[in-house]
Amino acid sequence: MLAAEPKSVGRPVLRKEDNRLIKGLGCYVADVNRPDQVYARIVRSQVAHAKLLGVHLEEARARPGCVAAFAATDIPDIAQKKIPVRITPSRLDQFALQTPLAVDKVRYVGEPIAVVVATDPYVAEDVAEDVWAEMEELPPHLDPLSAGGSVLHEMVPDNIVGDIDTSNGEDVDGLFRNADVLLHQRFSIHRHSAAPLEPRGLVAEADPQTGRLVVWGPTKVKHFNKRVLASMLDLPDNRILLIEPDVGGGFGPRGEFYPEDFLIPWLALRLKRPVKWIEDRAENFVALNHSREHVIDLTIAAQSDGTLLGFRCTDWCSVGAYVRTTGLTVAKLVGLHLSGPYRWRGFSSKVIGVLTNKTPLGTYRGPGEVEATFVRERALDILAAKLGLDPTDIRRRNLIPAEALPYRVETGPRSETLEYGSGNYPAMFDRLLANAGYQELKDEQARRRELGEAVGIGVACFLDQGGIGPFEQARVVAEVDGTFTGYVGVASVGQGVQTALAQILADEIGVSVDRARILHHDTDSIEDGMGAYASRTTSVGGSALVLAARQLKDNARRAGAQRFGVAEHEVELRADEVWARDGRVVTFRALECEASARFETSAIDFSFGSVLATVSVDRGTGRVRVERYVGHYDVGRAVNPLIVRGQLEGGAAQGIGGILLEELAYDDRGQPLCTSFMDYMLPTLSEVPYIETAWSEFPSEDNLIGAKGAGEAGIIGSMAVIANAVADALDPDRMVVTSTPLRADRVLGLLRASSSAPPHGISSTLDST
Amino acid sequence: MEQMSDQDSPLRSRTDPAVVAMVGSDDIVEVTFELNGTATTLRCSVRWTLADMLREKARVTGTHLGCEHGVCGACTVIVDGEPVRSCVMLAVQVEGSSVRTIEGLCPSGELHPVQRAFHESHALQCGFCTPGFIMLSVGLLEREPDASKGRIRDVLSSNLCRCTGYRPILRAVRSAQREMSQ
Repeated sequence: MLAAEPKSVGRPVLRKEDNRLIKGLGCYVADVNRPDQVYARIVRSQVAHAKLLGVHLEEARARPGCVAAFAATDIPDIAQKKIPVRITPSRLDQFALQTPLAVDKVRYVGEPIAVVVATDPYVAEDVAEDVWAEMEELPPHLDPLSAGGSVLHEMVPDNIVGDIDTSNGEDVDGLFRNADVLLHQRFSIHRHSAAPLEPRGLVAEADPQTGRLVVWGPTKVKHFNKRVLASMLDLPDNRILLIEPDVGGGFGPRGEFYPEDFLIPWLALRLKRPVKWIEDRAENFVALNHSREHVIDLTIAAQSDGTLLGFRCTDWCSVGAYVRTTGLTVAKLVGLHLSGPYRWRGFSSKVIGVLTNKTPLGTYRGPGEVEATFVRERALDILAAKLGLDPTDIRRRNLIPAEALPYRVETGPRSETLEYGSGNYPAMFDRLLANAGYQELKDEQARRRELGEAVGIGVACFLDQGGIGPFEQARVVAEVDGTFTGYVGVASVGQGVQTALAQILADEIGVSVDRARILHHDTDSIEDGMGAYASRTTSVGGSALVLAARQLKDNARRAGAQRFGVAEHEVELRADEVWARDGRVVTFRALECEASARFETSAIDFSFGSVLATVSVDRGTGRVRVERYVGHYDVGRAVNPLIVRGQLEGGAAQGIGGILLEELAYDDRGQPLCTSFMDYMLPTLSEVPYIETAWSEFPSEDNLIGAKGAGEAGIIGSMAVIANAVADALDPDRMVVTSTPLRADRVLGLLRASSSAPPHGISSTLDST
Repeated sequence: MEQMSDQDSPLRSRTDPAVVAMVGSDDIVEVTFELNGTATTLRCSVRWTLADMLREKARVTGTHLGCEHGVCGACTVIVDGEPVRSCVMLAVQVEGSSVRTIEGLCPSGELHPVQRAFHESHALQCGFCTPGFIMLSVGLLEREPDASKGRIRDVLSSNLCRCTGYRPILRAVRSAQREMSQ
């Protein structure tokens, strides 16, 4: 017998995905071509808010090369074909759902009003130009703080689609009365989003042999999308196959069900030809979910020694023109994450979803968590400055101590109780400060300030939530070539799923990782799956694989014993072989073993993270340069340290771009101002600093892997830590930054404000009670 | 434009307004060039970009389109030794040129040092920007084998990646540079 295969989990196994991708042999959706295919192009509204009086397709249909052109009136029952909410429903959301094409009104620039099909993708764009619409413009509603004004949806007269209260049930008023100090502050967070490098796309075809509808291009939540599509097309589920090709980045928005996810399959059935649609970048900027836009009022009650007592918060979240599949998740998570890794005696928050004439909002990496962390950590710095405390001291004083874990937080009479599991927040925060050399940084900052430099140090602490249920499924097959295939219902958006999950599968069976393979590509190979979001793929998908592999071993033991004519306890498993005591041996594959399992959990993993950044601000231009970016995270268990590091560093880089460069700005008529990479600035290598990343491993007790989230941890503290560092650079009272983004032009304005006294634009007030 | 002589070649049409006026946007032209070392003639509409001709006509789909306006660099290929953005170059402009794409980088199957370094440095996640970054890096290292770290950083700053945070890409290119100089 061979020596036991060394475990691969925990080792930096090079990725199995890479070999194809570095040779240009990946197959992204734009690389899928079907015989006799035609090309679709969406015609989108160019105004933000208008009555749609008519869509004229005659000229488009007359252009040579045009195959078909359709508006809402051409799709039977389109008013009933509403794209449903997948998570976080709200009171009136059923009155604000989007139909695949606009029916009688347009409500944002970019809303689909027609779809055309041509024999050539260039001609399809020409045909789209020939479509024209009659509209009667209405004033747009753009400011989430003015709930009244122009009404988007008749049944939502105040434009408020719903609200969610979060409270731990304590007497917040009483805490406020007895507090030494109250800090009131309004914060605003700018609209931005993921901008995955690959635009979306779909190829749909009715299989010529079976008549089944096959769609290439879905990802993230394929099984949910299959059910939605089946319902909207009025087809049985099993008549649809969704295939996930390689995906050029997900980060949350990509893979949700969008209008095109109905239109392209519908066209394929209607035209009885394969239809291909590839989004362009300008479309991507108005069609893919936006994220993050909030105005948040926060009041904190504290003692004069910095002990936090309670907070009250109202969040107006600009959800855009429709409620999309992720419902009010972005706003809800602000409420759930405001308390963060600190002890509060009482808190109460209300998040309000306000409809606005902009592209609809959805989740983007660290949804709500990024924003809540920004608001809370900014407020803590302002409070610390007012109380004469170092920012690290106010955090140390209030972090939940290790002995208080697991720590339970009530969130409302009808809401879940959160449980913060394993960890040691204060010790990890101290590790961060030691790794960064906090005291030396302070000394260096003092020296440079004397030379007139605007340099700042920021810290931020947060909790990341991951590993959410309710379930994942897996199926493991012993293949004839001696490998093992694990079919999973999670998805790949480029994270390295095929490698990390193969490591888990290989270890559980006891074979080398090159004998394990993960398939997650279609809705046929596994009955159901939740998908890739909320940092759950490795922990929840991996747990399902472990259960399936265990089941496979049980099946092999039983089948082997039967083969040898002995009792089950008389055989022994050695890796993928079943041995009898007399030396007879049979492999799993010879026994044709296969097993399925389902892992269920109602838990949410909360993991601690903290970050430190140093910045310098150019007083002449307002440009912020991030000099150091240091993070320390609890990842539970790093299944593949290479991939974990990549997730954490990549998340941080995205966050740095998000606060310093990117903004999905609109003018006062609701026209988007950033629809190319020349005005939506993404960070390049020149803007992203060397990111210093370390982690601790406090294994999760909620799944079989021990892993906690890594996909989002890197971004959650990024906005807060950069904002705190910039505030520290600009202003010794660290007050000046209360809104984002911190692009050079905005920072220049803040520099001017902070150098004149009294400062302008600062509404923060501190009451002594 | 059916029978093309050198006089009528699209290469000339770039500079000759009289010829430009004669060419309709839907006219089909033949483009003869060297693709990954092989003489190639493809027919496409005169308005097609190089990227679209490579992807749709030559079916080499490793060249990716991330923005189609010359910013992200996912479509970077090497034309006559120089990395270019194939989304903002017309197909007809490569008449008579040599074009190299990611597919031509390891003809024998053995990975190019830059490809290997990307794998070993975990310099890719979703892989969509990767062919562009690799072709940009190959173009740089062939032309400037001794490029300084600062120069490499500047050149790599011309492409976008949303996954990695860029440092692994810089590490990979520096490591490939060392290997290629041996």
